[in-house]
Amino acid sequence: MKKMLSVLLAAMLVLLAIPAMAEDQVITVVTWDATTTPYLAAQKEAFEAANPGVKIEYVDVASQDYAVKTTTMLEGGDKSDVYMIKEIDNLINWQAQGFAAPLDTADYDMSGFVGTEANYAVDGVQYAIPFRSDFWVLFYNKDLFDAAGVEYPTNDMTWDQYAELAKKMTNAEKQIYGTHYHTWLSAVANWAVCDGVNTLADKEYSDLLYFYKLYQDLEDSGACMSFADLKAAGLHYSGAFANGNIAMMPMGYWYVSTLIGYNKDGTCNFNWGITAVPHLEGVPAGSSFGNLTGAMINAKSENKDLAWKYVAWLGGPEGAKATASVGARPAWVSEDVAGAMASVEGFPADETSKGALLPSGVAMEWPVAEKVADIKTIVNEEHSMIMAREITPEEGIEEMNERVAELFE
Amino acid sequence: MSQAEVKKVRRKMGKLERKNTLVAYSFLAPNFIGFAVFTLVPVICAILLSLFEWNGGDISKMKYVGLDNYATIFATKKVAEKGIEYFFNRADLGIALKNTVYYTIVTVPLTIACALALALLLNKIKGAVFFRTVFFFPYVSSMVAICVCWSFMLMKNGPVNQIIMALGIDFNKGWTADSTMAIWAIILVSVWRNMGYYMVLYLAALQGIPRELMEAATVDGAGKWKQFLHVTLPQLKPTTFFVSVMMVISCFKIYDVVAIMTEGGPGRSTKMLVTYIYDEAFVKIRYGQASAISMVLLVIVLLVTIIQFSSEKKFSND
Repeated sequence: MKKMLSVLLAAMLVLLAIPAMAEDQVITVVTWDATTTPYLAAQKEAFEAANPGVKIEYVDVASQDYAVKTTTMLEGGDKSDVYMIKEIDNLINWQAQGFAAPLDTADYDMSGFVGTEANYAVDGVQYAIPFRSDFWVLFYNKDLFDAAGVEYPTNDMTWDQYAELAKKMTNAEKQIYGTHYHTWLSAVANWAVCDGVNTLADKEYSDLLYFYKLYQDLEDSGACMSFADLKAAGLHYSGAFANGNIAMMPMGYWYVSTLIGYNKDGTCNFNWGITAVPHLEGVPAGSSFGNLTGAMINAKSENKDLAWKYVAWLGGPEGAKATASVGARPAWVSEDVAGAMASVEGFPADETSKGALLPSGVAMEWPVAEKVADIKTIVNEEHSMIMAREITPEEGIEEMNERVAELFE
Repeated sequence: MSQAEVKKVRRKMGKLERKNTLVAYSFLAPNFIGFAVFTLVPVICAILLSLFEWNGGDISKMKYVGLDNYATIFATKKVAEKGIEYFFNRADLGIALKNTVYYTIVTVPLTIACALALALLLNKIKGAVFFRTVFFFPYVSSMVAICVCWSFMLMKNGPVNQIIMALGIDFNKGWTADSTMAIWAIILVSVWRNMGYYMVLYLAALQGIPRELMEAATVDGAGKWKQFLHVTLPQLKPTTFFVSVMMVISCFKIYDVVAIMTEGGPGRSTKMLVTYIYDEAFVKIRYGQASAISMVLLVIVLLVTIIQFSSEKKFSND
């Protein structure tokens, strides 16, 4: 009887172990908009194909609450293996809080990141790897330009020329707007940092004045929708441009993959192209600003080696190809990758659009700096006051200068 | 009864009393445990945390800073230098405090007036049940849906402005994008949403007014207005007291409408105490400072409630 029992027990153990042995290893990755972001699906597919037996499982967090929710998760001791990083200062905070595992990059080739990886390093130690680097470009609706008989915008255009073009393309009767500004500070006044000298944390904001004046002039002339209406309606830029009545729109490169998707599913069916964002006199054409997206390994992950395998792959040339395959711009820069980006089905075939893929310089939207979270709040508060015409741009900029100076007193 | 017998009975009584007390405590325990775990302990933690600098990470990195967090939020250095105007016009806490108090002072009486008016209207009309449901409906609807709909209605060319313009008033501003009107948009939505709930409370109170009092007033020759002023209103005092206490507390805690409709903007024109706490804690990850602001909020709500309760007698039915 005893023998029987022990044989039975052994059999049960073997049976229990079989599925466990066959089970895939899982890497949990915390990210945002997992179901609607094409590059996440492409990355998952490519990584799983290259690494049989390993599965990627996304933990989806709402995009607009990403920083708050992920910080709460980390504070609560969440053990997800990888966290994607939306804003650089998220990583800086997490590193300070001890949530980011230091990465061993001694044998890891980072040459393709052209220095951007330094934004994810603290005291010389790398805490995350960038896998996407978005910079801002100018989108335009080719059909509207054709219909109006106006020449397309180019990769070398000053802001004044752009404003003139926007007014030329405006047709109030047909409800066609020459341009469209999303409500963000980055869409309206961030351009001041494109020269690579100014930053939004340099405590001096008079460089933003030109862009606020330019915007207000365009709004007054009816060349773009008013900030008040956009704010109240909560109109998202993606839908606004896809409506087909906006000639130009400065926006981040990520919108390329959205537009390709829209063309495929029929949300919009017009021809579009991209150019470099306009530049100020004296600033080289093709100068833009942008942001990094990266991935870090959770210090509490119980699967760090496997997580590193994934993060290293994600940033490297193979991951970059997967990212580029759906029209997103990887952080890893190489001719292969640029070729992959331009050959994506649905990407505009003209030379100008291809030329826009190679910016002459990309400054960081927000630098890593002391008290940057406070500065962000102040600059954004004053931005909304200027945009709502509660105060003049001059008054707003004076307020920014004073309030930011007070932070450091 | 001999002394021994008395003792025996007392002991028995004592046992019974103890048993009863234990039973009572066991009934209270679940509620008290819930209160302790989810309210009392967090409040004590917040009090302590307000004396520390902490970014939520490693607990060993918590740094005791005494009253520094309070000094920072009250901008004591700047106030000493530039006077109290600085606190109310420039410091985040001063502005949030000003906005919250303004919102409360306007919202509480307005909601009470609307709720009472609705209750009086619906007390004895035909189809009252239908209208009661209609007015109560906003209270059970999703806050997000309500705020989004109102945002649309309060747009520059939205229906609300169209009506105002039709009345001959030149008003062409998007409510939520204007720093003077934004707070009124929030007041409007709050009043509209809550008046249905308080209307139900007033309706219940109205049903409870003895008919004899009304009859007596009629016999004495009081008209409708005098009846309302001298019979109905005094009889509603306890309800008004309850409603005002509940409303003041909830107004000081306003967050959801602001977060959805204005995010505290434009500028800082609708920044409230709780949105400020949220910002400090979860955007800037400064738990110490956020806890200090919560303590300010706690003290204010406590003070207002104590004042209200101390005048409770005036509100009782006599």
